[in-house]
Amino acid sequence: MNFAERIPMTRPAFLLGLFLLFLAIGCREEPGGSTVVDEGTITGPNTPTPYALEVPDYFPAPVVDPENPLSEEGIELGRHLFYDASIFSTEGNMSCATCHQQELAFTDGFGRAIGVRGEPGPRSAMSLVNLAFNPNGFNWDGGEGKLWEQAIHPVENMLELDNDWQEVIRKLREHGDYPARFRAAFGIDKVEEIDPELTVKALAQFERTIISADSKFDRVVYKNTDFFTELEQLGADSLFFVENVPPGTLHPGCGHCHNAPQFGDNKFHNNGITDVETINDFVDKGRGDITGNPFDNGKFRTPTLRNIALTAPYMHDGRFETLEEVIDDYAAGGHGVENEDPNITGFSLTEREKAALLAFLHTLTDEALLTDPRLSDPK
Amino acid sequence: MKHLLPLLLFLPLSGCLDDDDLLEPLRESPVTVAFRAEYDEAPLAIQREAYAYPTGDSLKVLLFQYYVSDLELLPAGGGEAVRLADIDLIRWMSATEDATVERTYSVPAGSYRGLRFGLGVKPELNAIDPSEFAANYVLNENEFWGEQTRYVFAKIEANALLEADGRYDTGLSYHMGSDSLYTTVTFDRTFTVDGSGVPTLTVVADVLEALSGTGQTFDITDPQKQTVHGGNQAVATGIWNRLAGQFTLETE
Ligand code: HEC
Ligand code: HEC
Repeated sequence: MNFAERIPMTRPAFLLGLFLLFLAIGCREEPGGSTVVDEGTITGPNTPTPYALEVPDYFPAPVVDPENPLSEEGIELGRHLFYDASIFSTEGNMSCATCHQQELAFTDGFGRAIGVRGEPGPRSAMSLVNLAFNPNGFNWDGGEGKLWEQAIHPVENMLELDNDWQEVIRKLREHGDYPARFRAAFGIDKVEEIDPELTVKALAQFERTIISADSKFDRVVYKNTDFFTELEQLGADSLFFVENVPPGTLHPGCGHCHNAPQFGDNKFHNNGITDVETINDFVDKGRGDITGNPFDNGKFRTPTLRNIALTAPYMHDGRFETLEEVIDDYAAGGHGVENEDPNITGFSLTEREKAALLAFLHTLTDEALLTDPRLSDPK
Repeated sequence: MKHLLPLLLFLPLSGCLDDDDLLEPLRESPVTVAFRAEYDEAPLAIQREAYAYPTGDSLKVLLFQYYVSDLELLPAGGGEAVRLADIDLIRWMSATEDATVERTYSVPAGSYRGLRFGLGVKPELNAIDPSEFAANYVLNENEFWGEQTRYVFAKIEANALLEADGRYDTGLSYHMGSDSLYTTVTFDRTFTVDGSGVPTLTVVADVLEALSGTGQTFDITDPQKQTVHGGNQAVATGIWNRLAGQFTLETE
């Protein structure tokens, strides 16, 4: 019910870009004539098997994308693409998985993601869990409306994967294995039909299957198969969640924006981490660059805290190395910038309380995710 | 249970089909229900405007939202109310938003004597966990405190300037709700829906009147009264009651 957010300003430009891209790639192959078309015929199975996401009953139903229904073959193709460095980078040394590593809950361990040239980009690689439950746009600034549109960008962005879509598509069409996989996933008949859109849709199908729902928190709270320690319980009940905030007390209030079970509201907030004189002075304007509205400067999408113990460094620019630093910064209560979220109030914690909040954050780690064979490199 | 949502949406429809006059198909016409937010009787400007507050301080509003349940039109003849929506979240949270948000519904043509809604999440929905709905449904975990305290019916959030330092750095955050606070708001107003033009009914809510009205001013300078969350609603009961009592309806 959030009207202005629905139409990011960059959207028309993006769609135009996408359109021109498809056009350009389409044109290239055209002059070949009928012989090329015949040579490009793909054989093999062409009926994708519909796939229903396995969602635990304590999660909401995923947001559906009618433009990109899931199929077993589409997911499998996406998984191959996700891990394939030979397709996505010029030097063959970088894939999506370089920055989104399964053992780190699909992050990279760096503060700011390192591009092919070894230089850090502006932002931190995001964890890719539970993307199917985000209704609010992707990336730190929510600038990508659909998951499949999001993947166009890392391929083009020099600082992420330094390759050009025309080159990627050429490699896919000439590949010994991919054309049959595209046919199986999307029912296409000709290699010419392999295009950026189908490629990113397959990637998105795989990404939607990355569901993290088996942390200690889930086992204690939803499955009743485990118990919190005293410290974890203290962290949950009286520090993290906001069901019982005594009136007039300064409370960490993490649950306002990081409520269970997703632990990230996907809304845009200035959570008070940046000290600027005015709202025009943010180095990374975040949401403001998308909406063009200065009051959105310095706002970022609240990410999930699932697996947070594994995804350091923290925040959109990786400014904090540890969770202790994160807690200390929230405790300081922001910098009085006028668009800071009113729920960032500052608070003081005893050593024991701080240990309790940390202990609670560690219960959000889902060990099974890190080795789930369905999500690992298919090779 | 994942299918509850489609079911809920379907129920009101099938309800209509049960009507006795099934053979006479009802003529449907559009009607617009608008919600306007104000501060001190002027359209609410999120973030952009510094508003004077009766304690002598000033504040900038960052968020104002409330749920409405069972939004209904009341037929003049006294028949069954016409249900427009089971649940909706009315929200202002961005400086680029208009102070008025609109919804258009299709209703049987005829004369009506009023409009009615429940402020908050009606008890039967308040009992249903967010996990029973889709992640992008109006009832979701981000508006939910937890097992015991359930959904947040309304939120008012602002940054206040309390010292003479020019900084809007005192957060005010009032999150309200509980089954016992659920309140029905009814407007008696006659209007006709006949297909000649789209009648617009505008529900107006004034943030200032919720904080300070009917001779009472909520003291935002008192550190004990700057945040209200979860099960500790006592401090905010006055705000809630004023909010529920101040709605007005405009028709055109
Ligand atoms: C060089 C490191 C790097 C590579 C390689 C990379 N990403 Fe990312 N990824 C990032 C960064 C950094 C962000 C945050 C971008 C932003 O906010 O601007 C991100 C964000 C994302 C998101 C958004 C997640 C969310 O919750 O909004 C998705 C999805 C994603 N990447 C998928 C991919 C896919 C698919 C590929 C391969 C085609 C890929 N990434 C390759 C660094 C990388
Ligand atoms: C007002 C909403 C809000 C509250 C309250 C809040 N957060 Fe956040 N949190 C955010 C936003 C927004 C971000 C992303 C900010 C950025 O990257 O610039 C974030 C980011 C984080 C991150 C980094 C995540 C990552 O992937 O790098 C951690 C850790 C975190 N929050 C923990 C907490 C804890 C612990 C609390 C309670 C003390 C808390 N948050 C309270 C909104 C909030």
